[in-house]
Formats: sequence, structure tokens, C-alpha cells
Amino acid sequence: MAGSTIDHLISVIVFLGALLLFISLFNQTLQTAILYQRHRNLAAKCSDLLDNMLLNPGYPVEWEGNHPIEWAKLNCTPTVFGLQDPEFTQYRLSPFSLMRLNYSEGEPVYYSKTGQWYSNITIGFGKFLLVPMSKALNYSTAARLLGINGTYGFRLTITPIVTVSISEEQPNPLILSVKVMGAGFPLAHASLSYCFITVDPTGGEQAYPSYRTNYDTTLVDDEGSALLSFSDFDGTSESYVLIVYAHLGGLMGVGYHEHVNYKENYVVPFISDFETGLVLLAHSWDVHQGANPAEITYNATFVMLTEDFELREIPLGVGKIGKLNYGQDPQHAYKNVTISTHNPGILVVTYRKSAQECGVVLMPWGINSLAFPVVFGDSPFSKEWVATDIRQVIVNDIAYQATLALWSYEGYQVVG
Amino acid sequence: MMRTVEILLVVIIITAAFIIASIYAVLPLPRRVSPLNLRRIALTTLQTLDMNHDLSEIVFKPENDSAWGQLQIALAACLPPNIVYNFTVYEVQSGEGQTELYRLIKTVSNAESLGIASDASSYLVASSNVTFRVIPEKIGERGGGGTLYILNCSDANGWWVTGYTAQSLAADLYNLLSPYFKTTIMVQNTAQLGQILNGSSLEGETLQNAVVINTFGESVPIPQEYCQGYERQNEGYYPNVTYPYTRYCYTLGQKTRIHNWTWVSIVGYPLYYVSNTAVFWNQQNEWGIYGMQKTYQGGVNAFLQGLDNKAFQYNETKITDNPGVVYLSSQAAYYCNYYGIYPSPYQTSTRALSTSILNYYHLNVSLYLFNQVNNYIPGAVYCHIFQNETRTTGKLLALGLTRTPDVRLTALGLLSYYKPRLYRSEYTAVGTARLVVLQLGQVGGI
Repeated sequence: MAGSTIDHLISVIVFLGALLLFISLFNQTLQTAILYQRHRNLAAKCSDLLDNMLLNPGYPVEWEGNHPIEWAKLNCTPTVFGLQDPEFTQYRLSPFSLMRLNYSEGEPVYYSKTGQWYSNITIGFGKFLLVPMSKALNYSTAARLLGINGTYGFRLTITPIVTVSISEEQPNPLILSVKVMGAGFPLAHASLSYCFITVDPTGGEQAYPSYRTNYDTTLVDDEGSALLSFSDFDGTSESYVLIVYAHLGGLMGVGYHEHVNYKENYVVPFISDFETGLVLLAHSWDVHQGANPAEITYNATFVMLTEDFELREIPLGVGKIGKLNYGQDPQHAYKNVTISTHNPGILVVTYRKSAQECGVVLMPWGINSLAFPVVFGDSPFSKEWVATDIRQVIVNDIAYQATLALWSYEGYQVVG
Repeated sequence: MMRTVEILLVVIIITAAFIIASIYAVLPLPRRVSPLNLRRIALTTLQTLDMNHDLSEIVFKPENDSAWGQLQIALAACLPPNIVYNFTVYEVQSGEGQTELYRLIKTVSNAESLGIASDASSYLVASSNVTFRVIPEKIGERGGGGTLYILNCSDANGWWVTGYTAQSLAADLYNLLSPYFKTTIMVQNTAQLGQILNGSSLEGETLQNAVVINTFGESVPIPQEYCQGYERQNEGYYPNVTYPYTRYCYTLGQKTRIHNWTWVSIVGYPLYYVSNTAVFWNQQNEWGIYGMQKTYQGGVNAFLQGLDNKAFQYNETKITDNPGVVYLSSQAAYYCNYYGIYPSPYQTSTRALSTSILNYYHLNVSLYLFNQVNNYIPGAVYCHIFQNETRTTGKLLALGLTRTPDVRLTALGLLSYYKPRLYRSEYTAVGTARLVVLQLGQVGGI
């Protein structure tokens, strides 16, 4: 009797132990399979979402004749999120829709004269793109418009495929080195068309500063490099900007290099209104402070790139020349200029403090004009599982790569 | 003891089940769990390379052409370093007696194998040497409007159309532009012009957002009712000034604003004369052309006042200049290729409008047909937008060129502004289409 009881007890204990062990083992297999499905699902969602963003122009779109005008040019918040250029089909993006995305990586800038914060895509000194937060589309609004608010997080990165880096080899006479790289390899034997802009401190109307342009073309070598020599130009004492367009086999990229001989006081352009093209030109001391504040004069010009890679000037009208002062001088606190076109281009602002102290700053009107990158959305770091997908896109003839990183907030975890 | 043995047997069976299940439930590679969409990357890469038709040109070049090397460099530069490719070009064969549809032309690759998984996209390109049949999009199919009025009035005379007549220019414009508009109407006499000015359609067409082309050069037809002594005299005649018919130009500006028309002046100084051969039968324009009355330089000023809803004020101030030789803008040059209209890229301008009108009359230049010369615009589309508003209320396409007119420039200006799409409808010509296949694979990692 006792033996039978012990037999039962042992068998029940062994059975329960084995059952628990195998339930746990099977559970692990099932959990891995479910995770696999979820991750696949996330990858598919990532691909779909990226196409959703890139293949629709968003809403509202207004029509002027047969010419569509996307939400980014209308000053309004979109009710449907999309980045496609409505004038085209396929993966061609609007340079203005991209410009209205709140840049995730830049430190926002506060400008006390307008009392506004600005989304900041500044690529080094003199290359500014400052968009008022009130007009920049923020991440949570975009997530809500995409229908993923609270369920998925994302980061959209749009970077130029062709990188044109320029460095100074020798200042006097000036020699600049240009290196053209693609996403993977150098763009060997690419054609370069470049525009060399030099600042003339007193060459403009009423002795305001102005600039001169010189154009030329060349080819890069097997390693994607070229040296550009500017004899008779002293890069130590004079201010200049070099804008280089590299193109090969359908790929096109832009690079620029700037050297100014005076940086203590300069002009900071703020976009004020997308619809009318209103831009505020502010004194740098009111934005970043700094040493030795002083009054400066400026001369602003808007240029567009033509098909033969030359810059065509578009008149700016009222406010194109003027005086800016720092601190409490309301009359010269900032000036307004209006860019009267929605064709992408570059706002070139030359400034000077004296006949020897001058410089130049640039602002792209349309993200592609100076190949600025766009980073929009939350940070993917420390997220559990991030799916990514890539598309090659075109932003007004400049080749970009769009990468979407997507993760889920549904709360499951990776095992193993 | 039997129970324990039975349980051990059960444990063995479950263990076997688990092992068998584990063997079949193989976990996929991480790359397959969260794959890149290689098909889409391939397609978008091909589209990027064909952005300015470079790919279309290269794939039709001989196999030993250096352009193929450039294409490989561009492909390598375009794709991420861990992605390898196989690029293949086929000729599409469509002639009779062909046994196969696609014939291999060339294949290039940067790796021996494309890894464990690959995907491909195909892209059809057409030779640039072939002209395809195209179907144009109709202006007005989207966004409203879509009516084109061409002034073909038999009871008016033109000026600065030397060598042509307004009627022959109207016929040419009809042939050039009617495929692009929903409705094209030839306005046959000044009475019909009066009807549309009064807001009544001629054939049930949409009046709003229409385009009105004045083929009469520097002259513009005037309906009888707007002339001195007739019922709408107050809208066409302003007494006690040197050129009283400038008032009619003001009315034209008003109507252009109210109906959001695009008023087109094809040559010279816009609205320099008014013409009605019945009313002005015994009056000439000082150069021997009867049926005309001069409005002089005040005509266009009055038109712009009406367009901007300013009160009419007689103003003879000259607002044009003579910049000489002018060149097509890059935008216009682009649309020359797109629409296949090739006027001379340089022209002589003697009546370019001043930029001073832009701010004063709230005009925005939406299209430069010619490059601006100093402060004068030889040819452009001006959109009128009231201050603090966004809606366009009337447009003016003014070509301030010297006589005689080239109506291809008028057509180019309108098409460059409205940008109707051209849909290619035929890709079947022999030897003119090639299929490009880009297959991508991933290397490295697991």
C-alpha cells in the first residue's frame, strides 16, 4: 500500500515537473515565433509608412491654374502628412515641405526681438536655416497625422547621396581641395561646376557690400578629388564662398565652403513666412551675443541655379540693403526682405563692419539648394527593436537618401 | 512503480515532441526578420539615375562607350556599401517573327553572387531619338477654368502684327494651344467680346479663370457699346483727356480681376490702341490703319489700375523701356524641350515693362519667359494678389518684344505657366525601348 502511494507521489511530482519544464520550453519557442512575426510586421509597416510619407504631397494642396501648391508653401499646418512634390510623381520630394519639418538634431534658437523659438538647421558658420517653431511641423503632429501616435515611434533622415567636401589647401594664392563621395564610393570622374563668390566690402549700391561671381568647370580624378586654384586671390584677407555642383550619370550633389575675415558681428537670417517669402535679417549679437558688438551694413541677394549651373539673380526689392545694430536700437533691430518666388535658391547676404572687415552668410530657400540634411522625429537609441528602410529620392534635382527608422511602443521585449 | 515508468514514458514522448518541433521551427536569420525592401531601393535608384534622362541615354550607347563606366560609378556611389548589384539591359523586341520578347544587351555587376537573398526592379526606358505620340493634359481638368478665348474679331484691326493678320495669328494659336485647353473659343467679333466682358458665356463655357489672348498686337478690339455715345460709354470712354479710350483698358483690367482671367498681350506695348472698324471707320492711328483710336501709354496703366481695383486715374506715364536683345529664361528653355516648341532663344525687346509696377499694383512674377534686364522685364506672367491675401485675382502675360510677333512665344509662355502634363501613349516602336533590370543583394552580417 505504502509502495503504491510512493509510486503515485513520485509519478505525479515527476509529471508536474516535466509538464512545467516543457510548458516553459514551448512557451519560449512560441514567444520567439511571435516576436519574429511582430518584427516582420514592423519591417513591413516601416516600408509602408516610408512610402506613405514620400508618395503623397499631403493636404491641403491648392491649385493655381494647373500648378499645384503644397501645404508647406501655404503657411498652414497640414491635415494629411506627405512630402512629395505635387508637381511630380514618384519619389520626388518638395524642398519646402522638408524645410518645414522640425529639425531634431539642432539646438533651437531664441530670438528676443520676435519672441519666437526657431528650429535650427545650421551647418557651421554662415550656413543658416532657421524656421519659426510656430510654422515648423513637430513630431507629435506628424505622428498623429500618420495615425501612429502612441503605437509607433519613428525618425526620418534625409541626407544627400553625394557629399562634396571642400577644404583649404593653401590660402594665398588660394587653392581649395574638393572631394566628391557617394553613399558607398567616390564619385570618380564626376563633372564639377563651381561658383566662386567673393565679397566686395564697398562695391554695392550706396557703398554697401556686394559680391562678385566667377564660374568654371572641371573634373575630379579616380579618387573623386580635384584641386581648384584661384591665382591672384588672397584667402587670408578676403572673404569668399565656393559652391560646387558635382554631377555624374544622373547623380547630382552640392557642396560649399566659406571663409570670412570677420565673424564678430554678422547677419542671421530667420524665415518668417513661407507663403510670402518673408525673411528677417537680424544682428548676430541679438541672437548669440559675443564680444565687441558693433553696427554692420548688409546687402542681400537671392540667386537661383540655372540649368548651366550659373546663378541667376532675382530682385529682392525693399530691404535688400540696410543697416543692423545690436541691443536697443529698434529702428535697426532687424530688416525684412521678401523672396518673391517659390523656386528654390540661395539667399546670399554680404555684410561689413568696415572696408576691411566683411563676410557673407547663406540661407537655402528650399532644402536642396545647399544640400542641407533633414532629421525629423524621435531618437531611435535605446529602443528595443528598430526596423529601417531606405529609398533614393530626388529633391529638386539633388539626389538624397531617405531612411526611416521605426519602432513599436506595444511593449514586447526581445528574448535571448 | 508502474506509474513512474508510465510518467517517464510520457516525459520521453514530450521530449521527443519538443525536439521534433524545435527541428522544424527554425528561427530565421535576423536579416529576414527585418529586411530592407530591396525592390523599392532598386526602383528608386533607377529613377534617381534617370532623373535628367541620363540613364535613358546611357543604355542606348554602344557597349564600349565610357558612359557605361560612369553608370557603374554612379550606381556604386548611390547604393550603400553593403549592397551589391547586378544591372542588366534588355532590348524590347516587338517586330514580327521575333521569337523572344527581350534580347540581352549588357550586364554589369560588382559581385560574383548577390548573397542569400536578392530582389529586383525593372524600368522601361525610351530612346531620346524617338518621338512618341503624346496626349496632353487639358488645362482646367483640375482646379477649374480651362477656357481659352482667342480674339479673332472680324470688325477690328491689329497693329504691330505686320506680315500677319490678327485672324491668321488666331488660327495659328488655335492649332498650337487648343489641345491643351478644355474649351477653345474663337471670339469672332467685338459683339461676342462684349458678351464675355458682360459675364455671359458664348457656348456655355466656363468664364471664370479663362485665358484671353489678344491677337491684335498693340491694339485691342473694343465693342461698340463701350464707345462714345453708346450705352456703356461710361466704362469705355473718359472725356476731357487726350486719349479718352484708356477708360476701356481700365474696364478690361477690372474684368480680368473679377473673372480671374489671364490676359495675354502677344507683342509690343500692351493696349496702345483700341479698334472697331464700324465705329472708328474714318479714324486712323497716324500710320494709315483705319478703325483705330490711340490710348497711348496710358492704356496699360489703366488696365493695371483696374486689375488692382484702384480708382481710374488718367495716367500717360511710360512704364516700358528698350533693353535690346533678351534671352529666354532657363525655365522657358526647359519647357521648349518639354512641349517641343522652339522659338529663337534670343529676341529683341523694345517694350519691356518696368519692375516698378510689381509693388505698386501688387503683382508677382510667376514666370519669367525672358531673363530680366536691369529693372525691366521683357516677358513674364504677372499674377495679381491683393496685399494680405493669397488668392490670385487676375493675371497678365505681357511680351514686350518688337514686331513682328512670334505666337510660339505666347504658347510657350502659357504652357510654361500652366504646365499641362504630356502623357506618352506609345512605346512600341522597334528598337526604341529597353528594359533595365537592377537586382540587389545584401552582403556581410547574418
